[in-house]
Amino acid sequence: MKQLWEKISKNRYYQMVFKNPFTYITGAVLLSIMQIALFAYSGNPWGVSGTFANWGAWLYQLFGGSVEKWFYFSSSGAQATLDAGILSHTGTMLNVGLIFGALLATLLASQFKFKKIKSLRQVVAAVLGGLLMGYGARLAGGCNIGALFSGVASLSLSGWVFAAFLLVGAFIGSKLLAKFFM
Amino acid sequence: MAEFELDCLGEACPVPLMKTEKKLASLAAGDVLVVHIDHSCAMKNVPEWARKQGYNVEVEEVDDGEWDVIIEK
Repeated sequence: MKQLWEKISKNRYYQMVFKNPFTYITGAVLLSIMQIALFAYSGNPWGVSGTFANWGAWLYQLFGGSVEKWFYFSSSGAQATLDAGILSHTGTMLNVGLIFGALLATLLASQFKFKKIKSLRQVVAAVLGGLLMGYGARLAGGCNIGALFSGVASLSLSGWVFAAFLLVGAFIGSKLLAKFFM
Repeated sequence: MAEFELDCLGEACPVPLMKTEKKLASLAAGDVLVVHIDHSCAMKNVPEWARKQGYNVEVEEVDDGEWDVIIEK
């Protein structure tokens, strides 16, 4: 078994496909092809963060809450999605696939590792950053996938506006990072 | 010709790159810096940056998901 693994790990094609990171161009082409396939299949371009809002709503409903009166879920389309349930929600399948796909990729490259948490500061920054990104993505009507990648791919001007302010945010974020983490 | 180490285990991008840039600035020509990382995107952007600066770079996989980036200034 060990011998077989050593043989596989030296194989040129294994290294090309599973071990070494793809170039940016390869990644971009693959993303575009899958974006087209997804659009043809589901009728919607790819999005990630909108699904989290739905997960929150379903979780809230599970504990007996109701989101019918919330402005965010007030459209008939949003209500229909919530009523159809989590199992028939394409976005949920995509996000679950994303998580397991990433796990599979890191396992196949033999790079899986539990990382140690360095400091409390790191935890606070991660939680704060996550909350800000999630809240911001809902205010902006999408994240860097739904608003930027899918927006630009739909030839919508909003994607480019999003990109401009993403750069502003990244600039401020890097300054904060340098201030608190260096 | 001294050798220095930089522990970036558990740090996510772009912190390893920023720390490497800062540390290398304080080293003399000929010194060697070994950066320990366990974030796969740092395995790409740290060597890329260092090579652009004209330094000699080697990447060694020391364990599953763990690398040493060896940079000679």
